[in-house]
Amino acid sequence: MVLVAQATPPRRDRGMARRLLRSDLILLVTALTLSLLGAVLVRSATAPGSGSTYLVKHLVNLAIALVMAGLLLRLDRLALRAVAPAAYLLSLAALAAVLSPLGSTVNGSRSWIVLPVGFSVQPAELAKVALCVALPMVLVGAAERRRAPRAREVLLAGVVVGLPVLLVLAQPDLGSALVLVALGVGVLAASGARWPWLVGVGLGAVSAVVAAFTTPVLSQYQRDRLTVFLDPAADPLGIGYQTQQVLAAISSGGLLGAGLGQGEITQSGRIPYQETDFVFSVAAEELGFVGALMVIVLYGLLIARLGLAAARSDHFGRLVCVGVATWFSVQVVENVGMNLGLMPVTGLPLPFLSYGGSSMFACWLGIALAVGVGSYHRSDTNPRGG
Amino acid sequence: MVAALIVLSLFAAQLVRIQGIDSAEVARDALRQRTLSEAIPAQRGTIYDAHGTVLAASAERRRVVVDQSAVPEYTRTEGEKQVKVGVAGAAEELAGLIGKEEGEVRTALTGDRRYTILAPNISPLTWRKISALGIPGVYSERATQRTYPQSTTVASLVGFVQPHDQSAGGGLELMLDDTLKGQQGEATYEIAQDGSRLPSADSAGSSARPGKDVRLTIDNDVQWYAQNALAAKVEETDALSGTVVVMRVDTGELVALASYPTFDPNNIGDADGVFANLAFSDVFEPGSTSKIMTVAAGLEEGTITPDSPMIIPDHLQRYDATLRDSHPHPVEYRTVGGALAESSNVGMMLIGETLEPRTMESYFRGFGLGSKTGLGFPGESAGLLPAADKWDGVQRYTVTYGQGLSTTAVQVAGVFQTIANDGVRVTPSLVAATSDGEGGWTPAPAGKRTQVVSKDTARSVNRMLEGVVTEQGTAPKAQIEGYRVAGKTGTADRYDEEAGGYSGKTASFIGFAPAQDPELVVAVIVQRPIKGYFGGQVAAPVFKDVMTHALQAEKVPPSPIEGDPIKTSLDEKPAEDTPGLLRDRGNPGAR
Repeated sequence: MVLVAQATPPRRDRGMARRLLRSDLILLVTALTLSLLGAVLVRSATAPGSGSTYLVKHLVNLAIALVMAGLLLRLDRLALRAVAPAAYLLSLAALAAVLSPLGSTVNGSRSWIVLPVGFSVQPAELAKVALCVALPMVLVGAAERRRAPRAREVLLAGVVVGLPVLLVLAQPDLGSALVLVALGVGVLAASGARWPWLVGVGLGAVSAVVAAFTTPVLSQYQRDRLTVFLDPAADPLGIGYQTQQVLAAISSGGLLGAGLGQGEITQSGRIPYQETDFVFSVAAEELGFVGALMVIVLYGLLIARLGLAAARSDHFGRLVCVGVATWFSVQVVENVGMNLGLMPVTGLPLPFLSYGGSSMFACWLGIALAVGVGSYHRSDTNPRGG
Repeated sequence: MVAALIVLSLFAAQLVRIQGIDSAEVARDALRQRTLSEAIPAQRGTIYDAHGTVLAASAERRRVVVDQSAVPEYTRTEGEKQVKVGVAGAAEELAGLIGKEEGEVRTALTGDRRYTILAPNISPLTWRKISALGIPGVYSERATQRTYPQSTTVASLVGFVQPHDQSAGGGLELMLDDTLKGQQGEATYEIAQDGSRLPSADSAGSSARPGKDVRLTIDNDVQWYAQNALAAKVEETDALSGTVVVMRVDTGELVALASYPTFDPNNIGDADGVFANLAFSDVFEPGSTSKIMTVAAGLEEGTITPDSPMIIPDHLQRYDATLRDSHPHPVEYRTVGGALAESSNVGMMLIGETLEPRTMESYFRGFGLGSKTGLGFPGESAGLLPAADKWDGVQRYTVTYGQGLSTTAVQVAGVFQTIANDGVRVTPSLVAATSDGEGGWTPAPAGKRTQVVSKDTARSVNRMLEGVVTEQGTAPKAQIEGYRVAGKTGTADRYDEEAGGYSGKTASFIGFAPAQDPELVVAVIVQRPIKGYFGGQVAAPVFKDVMTHALQAEKVPPSPIEGDPIKTSLDEKPAEDTPGLLRDRGNPGAR
């Protein structure tokens, strides 16, 4: 891989333009490519019923997301660390708000706040961004001291992660809860926490899943959705329908696909939520194996570049980048996995590709975090390096 | 992160499997699971009588079905507002339209079944009203419903269809099923997850081809009259059952086929009646009405003439059996014509003795006994006519007066048709024509014609039968004012399977009119009448009523009474050497 940032001077420069230049352009280009590809796929999935409406909205979302990312990039590390607690508390407040009468229920989950301007936001998406900053702040102290986090720090991290997880579970939105827990574990592991802690968190996650299946936290509908992936034929017109038709769409793509706007199953509107959760199947049907593989490779590249950024960054930046990378990894694996019939259907969007404003904003804010914070290279804080 | 990259490469492998290796199978599975096919019922052909009266017709109906899980979302506009009224509101609106109690409808709408039938037969108009309500989960399927406007009148002949699937259940519906049923079509369509049809899905399938209409030879007017007259007589005499057959002489066309008891084809579920048409299925020993075959055979073989003198004792001793006339009488001196008019069993036996049993059998078979008509009517019996070489000694005598062999009402009507038609038997027919699907009619093939006896023989028997319907004969009650009527009474011992022997009588009268140029045969059979049992008393009046009505319906003009009555009795005992004298020449021996 080509490292664009090779020639980075060791000098600290807080200017946004310089930081962008010094940052990983491949990461930015990959995310932008996925976003634009998403626009095309979303249009294809929605054109028969809605024309170009969704294409335009997707592009508007992208534009807003880029502006938000640019604004975030303008904040330097100190400002970011100053804003982070407020952002985290704000996200908790928003998550609590969806459970109040302010929230509205879509597809069995109370995940949305409809704003008066005809705009709706999904606080769980923004909570991911907030957690990507808040959690490293809790754990970075130990890392900077080059020692494992103390129990007090780990427990605090647990609370920081646990609060949004519980609020998200109450919606209930199992997919987002999964992302938040994974994000927490990833950052905790990167912070050098001792393995018993990691095992403890792992056990906690397992028992949460067990509880989800055995207690009435999840509705029967959601439990069915999770289990039906084991046997999609069990209820072909009910929950298994989606899984079956998605598989059919993917399989009909062949090597080169039917061509954009030509996929028979996609264009007939047989797959509900194809522009959001199942946008991968549009790529697979209309762009074929080549297109679907390209999407997978792009995500691989994205995650790899985030990993690289983490490796090259200072302590705080590393934890942030790990958080973002874990978040994207979990969503991509879960989403592509459920499209391929390998994972249960949980309703997680595919970063950048899926239609949806909150997800688009959050993903680009994630990228901005990785680019902005992650560009403080280890050499920047360590004069002996470089 | 490394783990994520490994998982993503596994996904690429899965992509290869789905898109490359298993793609056909995956696509087929998915298509099968989202494809539904719905049968489009074919419109069943209409059954008309000879004059275009509808006997059976199918109407388009809708079967209203419910996806119970969707009904609670029912929202209706009240004033300016949208009000969610759910199951209760849906039940309230539907109850009146489908004619059920609101509570019952509410029960039918409540639950989580995705498919349940709410109402089976709803008119298209009512369905449009239901559809306009826009209740989620309430759909309809195409269906048809068979109705029988003539109800019980022609039920045993036309038959019925099974109410649940409109498949043929009996009678002409079953016999003509291949013509009537048409070809069911099939609509195949793909469905979205919510159960709605996808507009862009390829709708393969075939349209339904309607069945052909059938026009019968039956005259509904005559049928109605015959059925009512028969029913009244069966009830009046406490009889077990009865049939009336009206047949056109020159063509063998059946004009009416009444059978009682019967059933209501519009209400099969409640019917505890008799579904068979007894004219085809009920087998009985015909008795005296079959005497005309004995006389016709003798005349045709030349062993007797209409005027052959006969010395008729009260009884004959044959083998170990004493075979008697129905009423004791002194030795009588009569002609062959007189023996038939008086319905003498002894006289018939004396005629039968002039013929070989095998010859007798061949005439019986020629007249249509012992075989089915060829119509293919469901449940039709061939009757029972054993081969002559299987007859025991006494049976060879009893068959001459219609005992020891069994027939159906249609068969005996055919015997009289043959005599009335100058000896030419025409196989009976029920279907006059079948629609060609383009507004025209394709005539059914005419009945098969066979010369059974000569015209002279038939005319002679015809003349003798006129003698029956006189004040001197056995059936003066069969006289019809203004018409010359020929016919024969029958009062036979009835074999009762339950009793395992003879029990009760079969009373019959079969005749035709006008005698000089016969148009119609009417056969009346009443089984096991209790209040009166002679054919001349029980069956002849029904014959008279039905024949009178049928002649008027067929617009047969009255004819003047003319022609000399035939000579029936002799003034004195004929000399022993009179040529052709028939008398008891002794018992052929022990059995």
